[in-house]
Amino acid sequence: MRRLLLTAAAATTAVLTLTACGTTEPAKDDTKKTAERITLTDDTGMKVELDGPAKNVVGTEWNVVESLISLGVAPVGVSDVKGYKTWNTAVPLKNEPKDIGTRGEPSMDTVASLKPDLILATTDLPPAAIEQLRKVAPVLTVRAAAASDPIGQMTKNLDLIAQATGTTEKAGTLKQQFQTKLDEGKKALADAGRSGAQFAFADGYVVSNQVSIRPYTSGSLIGGVNEKLGLKNAWTVQGDEAYGLGTTDVEGLTKLGDVEFAYIANDGDKDSTPFTGALAQDKVWTSLPFVQKGNVHRLPDGIWMFGGPESMNKYIDAVVAALKK
Amino acid sequence: MAVTATTPAITPSAVTSRTGAAAVAAALVLLVAGLAAVDITQGTAAVGGPEVWKALTGRSDPADSSVLIASRLPRMTAGLLVGALLGMAGFALQAVSRNVLASPDTLAVNAGSYFALGLVAATGLSLPLLASSGVAFAGGLVAAAVVLGLSGLGTGTVRLVLAGSALTLGLTAMTEGLLLLFPRDTEGIFQWNQGSIAQHGFDGVLQVAPIGVVGLVGLLLLARRVDALALGDDAARGLGVPVRSTRVIAVVLAALLSTAAVTLAGPIGFVGLCAPALVRPLARRFRAFTRTRGSLPVAGLTGAALVIGSDVLLRALVPSDVAVAVPTGVVTSLVGAVFLIVMAVRVRDTAGATESDRLRIRTRTVFLTTTAVLVAVLVGVIVAAVLVGDSKLLLGDVVNWAQGRAGRTVTFVLDTRVPRVLAALLAGAALALAGTLVQSVTRNPLAEPGILGVSGGAALGAVLLVTTVPLAGSWSVAGAAFAGAALSSVIVFGLAARGGFQQNRLVLVGFGVATASAALVSLLIILTDPFNATKALTWLSGSTYGRDLTDVVPLAAVLAAGVVVAVMRRTELDLVSLDEDTPRLLGLSLGRGRLGFLTLSVLLSATAVAAAGTIGFVGLVAPHAARALVGRQHARVVPVAVLLGAILVCTADLVGRTVIAPAQLGAGLMTAVIGTPYFLYLLIRSRR
Repeated sequence: MRRLLLTAAAATTAVLTLTACGTTEPAKDDTKKTAERITLTDDTGMKVELDGPAKNVVGTEWNVVESLISLGVAPVGVSDVKGYKTWNTAVPLKNEPKDIGTRGEPSMDTVASLKPDLILATTDLPPAAIEQLRKVAPVLTVRAAAASDPIGQMTKNLDLIAQATGTTEKAGTLKQQFQTKLDEGKKALADAGRSGAQFAFADGYVVSNQVSIRPYTSGSLIGGVNEKLGLKNAWTVQGDEAYGLGTTDVEGLTKLGDVEFAYIANDGDKDSTPFTGALAQDKVWTSLPFVQKGNVHRLPDGIWMFGGPESMNKYIDAVVAALKK
Repeated sequence: MAVTATTPAITPSAVTSRTGAAAVAAALVLLVAGLAAVDITQGTAAVGGPEVWKALTGRSDPADSSVLIASRLPRMTAGLLVGALLGMAGFALQAVSRNVLASPDTLAVNAGSYFALGLVAATGLSLPLLASSGVAFAGGLVAAAVVLGLSGLGTGTVRLVLAGSALTLGLTAMTEGLLLLFPRDTEGIFQWNQGSIAQHGFDGVLQVAPIGVVGLVGLLLLARRVDALALGDDAARGLGVPVRSTRVIAVVLAALLSTAAVTLAGPIGFVGLCAPALVRPLARRFRAFTRTRGSLPVAGLTGAALVIGSDVLLRALVPSDVAVAVPTGVVTSLVGAVFLIVMAVRVRDTAGATESDRLRIRTRTVFLTTTAVLVAVLVGVIVAAVLVGDSKLLLGDVVNWAQGRAGRTVTFVLDTRVPRVLAALLAGAALALAGTLVQSVTRNPLAEPGILGVSGGAALGAVLLVTTVPLAGSWSVAGAAFAGAALSSVIVFGLAARGGFQQNRLVLVGFGVATASAALVSLLIILTDPFNATKALTWLSGSTYGRDLTDVVPLAAVLAAGVVVAVMRRTELDLVSLDEDTPRLLGLSLGRGRLGFLTLSVLLSATAVAAAGTIGFVGLVAPHAARALVGRQHARVVPVAVLLGAILVCTADLVGRTVIAPAQLGAGLMTAVIGTPYFLYLLIRSRR
């Protein structure tokens, strides 16, 4: 038995070794250099040099992918394509990009096989992985998010990506549209008498019959937008330094008091809908003042809470529509 | 004559013992009640002691009372229930197996339930609580049956735990793999893994409690027969107790109890191992507790105190919003581990018989062919690992690359893939060598850097450094890993050395340190970087993702030195692994040699962890397999074990990188999945 196993293993090995000759890619020859180089400094302080506006771009995180699409550049590689399609329908993919793996561990092989001329990464990727990606193409690493200035970080990232892809003009338009949307939204809320309303945005998920709730504090992108709309963030919990997200459970909601409560979930992910599912019968939830008054608003699916200006435009529309009722 | 002489002496002591036992039980009840009272005043809502009091006396506003009724009280009850269930399950398992190491954790009951639940979750079926409880019960029971079946009921203490731990590791890895293959929410993986007692209303508790009652009543009915088993199988049979059926029924009931706990709160580790261990010294002092009917409820109470105490401790130490993110299981593991270590050191180790594997003596030809075949397989695995991946390459590409003539894609793919392959190969080899050394020195077939907590200490050291200095270089990470590994091994070996590395004590202490360090690593990641599943995966289950050639250098250096030392000192290793006396008779200084080998194995495991995270199992499987293949001479075992380790981890890494490409599984998950069946096969084989 043992001998048979060993022989089989050895034979397989030999066959594999013998049949695996040849090459999948011809040996390299020198490539010509073009003019108009672009030099940028990214959020890690690295100098990024490009031969020209990047066309074949890979994005490792959904927020940079959304920015790319908004800027009119179709990415050739995206992390977790299925997830993106589920969670970000506000800015849908216009092409069929290659799936490069998970957002936390994008596959180096796949990225390399796409031969990109720019890789957009965020500081969420381990430094070692970014280091490796630099060998395949220039990597523009943007800060994933900054709780100190969430909207500023978002537009800064948009500008940087626009410069690298030669779409600065489009970025200007996007920022303009976003500002207009903010002003309109603020005015609409003021007209409806909702200025200064206490507002709490959260998402939640169910893990093994237990509900976790993530409060979006003032440091989150959505929290930043809410304040620009003239709403007051009702959360008192501490958020993290990057995304401005806190953690709490159902009990923690009792500290909110009488507020407007909004959340985004996803029908494609059953664990993301605790407010209508696991909590529906929960006594703590049902006795919350905002639940009893019906001030719980489920905003439309597919607005990516960590996205760019276009997701935020859709978010503003949704919030205004919910609060004007 | 003798009877009349002794009777007066016994009667008073029996009386005091009975009142003493009652006092102890009452004190425990008070303790549990006190902890429970504190627990309901803790939480994220602003409902503290005064509000709770008002709510209890019916004078509070409805919001506060709903928090108390729908959140606090269910959580508290769940904590008590889960603790009691696990404590009693552990007690029953230890009683029928006469094994201080038996518990729902070590018999893979928890892991089996957890895996069954994961399987159901992965298929997308959403079952009501009781149905999922049934699934979990089936899973737990099957796992326990496999473990008990493989090890043979009542025989071989060590084999029982060996099989149980192996299956636990394998099943846990498979469940984690399932969760990764069917990702729902990556950050959920931890909470799932560790278990949490938070509840929404009393529904869960009410559905699970009857199962607990059935288990308890069953065990109490069985109590006399279980007591008889304590006398030994033959004596019990002499008393007319059906040994086999008693064992089977007790195990089924214990599985039922722990399954109920797993369904309600997820796997809360260590309580089942710890609670009975805490009760045992009581049994020596108070005669009432030597009987199952007395000590089973006490074990349950102790379990309840452990769980609720951990919850209270957690909520008292960290701000309530952070405490929400920390699963109760992390804390029970920490608390339990400390208790376990203390107990292990104090308890006298009775079952210390080394089960030397009965091995056939192999000829030189067998050794040479085995080595040759393994080398061939290794070459094949390396070739496959370099060529196969997310993008497939051919050998010509590698030739081009080696000559620096490859195109951009191939250059990049190989630049990133080769270090990963190397990291896997070397980590496997180093862990195998470390395992071989530790098993020889301690003459303990259970000893392995992972199980003994050395790898866990290394991971903790590395994570501490990576957390405080995010851009730490590979040598400093290796250094921090070594510091952690050294500290944990000083604890483990230092505590176990008293009384000469007795088997159970060494493994108990090691198991404690391993669990504590894994819990601390989880805790550190949850507190500093809660959404970073990648980081957690690397340090908890091993991954070669993002490894660079520089990361591999320290490992390569230590491995080279280690192999040289092991080969040069092969005779000394042979002698040390033989028995206690032979080396002494030959005038060998045992202490220094042992210390040297242990230091070397600590260095090996630390650098392996720094390069590829904690990869379990290899240090256990590779030396065992090597001995089974070529006999016990170290001149032969060392090269074969090293080759096997390299093959195992490299294959695991290869499979992990390709099965769900472009996403990937950690190498550690794969070694466990590959290692478990082989290890169980080895166990069956060696029984003949």
